[in-house]
Amino acid sequence: MRSYEGVALLAPVSFGYARQSPHTAPWFIGKTLKLMLQQSGLSKDDIDGFAVSSFSLGADSVIPLTQHYQISPRWVEQLPYGGASGVIALRRAARAIQAGDASVIACIGGDGAAHRSFERTAGEFSSFTIDSSFPYGAGGPNAAFAMITKNYMERYGATREDFARIAVDQRYNANHYEQALLGHKTLSVEQYLAARPIAGPVHLFDCVMPCAGGEGFLVMDEERARSTGLPYCLISAADELHNAHRDDPVQERGGWTEYANDLYQRAGLGPDDINLVQTYDDYPVISMMQLEDLGFCAKGEGAAFVQATDMRFDGSGPQSRKLPHNTNGGQLSVGQAGSAAGYLGVTETLRQLTQSAADNQVANARHAMVSGFGMVNYDRGLCSAAAILSGGNA
Amino acid sequence: MTTSSKMQSRMKLNRPSVRNKTRPPKQRTPLGETFTAANLPAALSLQHCGDCGQVQYPPRELCHACLGDLVWRETSGSGVVSSRVDLHHSLWEFFKRHTAQQPWPIASIKLDCGPTVLAHVDLDSFGAAGANDVAAGTPVQVFSHSDCSQQAILIMVAASEPIATADRRHAIADRLGLLEPALKPGGI
Repeated sequence: MRSYEGVALLAPVSFGYARQSPHTAPWFIGKTLKLMLQQSGLSKDDIDGFAVSSFSLGADSVIPLTQHYQISPRWVEQLPYGGASGVIALRRAARAIQAGDASVIACIGGDGAAHRSFERTAGEFSSFTIDSSFPYGAGGPNAAFAMITKNYMERYGATREDFARIAVDQRYNANHYEQALLGHKTLSVEQYLAARPIAGPVHLFDCVMPCAGGEGFLVMDEERARSTGLPYCLISAADELHNAHRDDPVQERGGWTEYANDLYQRAGLGPDDINLVQTYDDYPVISMMQLEDLGFCAKGEGAAFVQATDMRFDGSGPQSRKLPHNTNGGQLSVGQAGSAAGYLGVTETLRQLTQSAADNQVANARHAMVSGFGMVNYDRGLCSAAAILSGGNA
Repeated sequence: MTTSSKMQSRMKLNRPSVRNKTRPPKQRTPLGETFTAANLPAALSLQHCGDCGQVQYPPRELCHACLGDLVWRETSGSGVVSSRVDLHHSLWEFFKRHTAQQPWPIASIKLDCGPTVLAHVDLDSFGAAGANDVAAGTPVQVFSHSDCSQQAILIMVAASEPIATADRRHAIADRLGLLEPALKPGGI
């Protein structure tokens, strides 16, 4: 695979997190774009590439949006890949920049949260969902992930106390991130364990809170990025694989296993060189799988790994091994803003690597792993994507 | 994603004030409707590939193995439990009506003929109090039955449970509450 040399990522924006909102997806996407332009000093007409992810555009797509905002891109992309959208967007956009198909690309995920809109998304997510999972009472992906969690616990001996480590450290991080919808509340292991049950071993604090919001970043070549005067990041390596391990009866791993080694090799780094990691945390078990499959520990050792690792952004936990993880609280504590959730890890990583996070800045953050996972079509998540990003001019 | 007008009107009826009258989700794709039709005369009917014989589920247009065309055929429902959970929460009022009383058990089953299916669980046939009491790897059987939304759903029972006759299968679907269109605690 050719390298992503010369491509810069910058101007991360997280916007408008709200439990419910009268505004629809075009508002969240447009407002996010406006903040990206403000931050970079660029004008609307400088944007000649536009990549969008959203579950709630209804009859619209990226093309009607160009008229909403009156922009004239010569490169467009729509990425309906749920939690993998952000990492896939940066890959697509980076290649378009390298090929010269566009010079400044805005990548944005955004969704509204109208009253009961989550029910609609869940009930009509895909044809397999409509015919073969929703009729069995599954409230969105809860049932599928409950079965995946149950299987993982029995197979590898993980306990709810282990999953609590992920949720509790993320909440600590969210307590230092202003936009986190649950950031004003603390979460203890006792509170986590006492939460009401939702499905099987999945309890309330294992589930994300659906919400509205927008996440976005700009992609351009390094020279152009330097001219903005903003700090930027580089893509050391990135890859994706979908519907991997399709014969596993229950999902225990994702496509990451097939390319994690390659990622490190291309980046010239090892797992120990990674200063922070953002996994897609729709449920703690999936974060645990990503830590395993991305080489931070061996398969089945995720539970022991999180018990022995301090995943707080500031390293203030008692464990001796430090690996800041989901440094703004992840979806579990920030909220899951539809498709924007697939961009959350990317924007947070960009803030960290450009030393522009606010109260939750990780000290000396130089290299980060950001991972995406998405689209529970029936009994498992199909998309996997991951990237190693590094600070550019910091 | 656009929501069909039918689904929109069904969503309107999916609210707590009419919880006692709600039925299981009726929404299906055209292929899902075919699944229901194919299962009316059979204990279990799944799509088989006309070329390579592979059995398919969820319903689809082409064989997942060789992209050949598919026909509906009666199939043995024997398999083993892959995973299973009790639902304490649902987005659908029919299930909320039940989970308010006790958790609703569901399971994923690897059928001996190949595919993995999701199914409601008949705990009585296992002598179980909850889904956790049915161990992963337990041999089971799966059959289909129409629920009170007139759509076929799958039910998992113990391997020893007699399900050869339509009456038996009806009785099992009935004891799960899947045939009750409404809750009338005070009688009709």
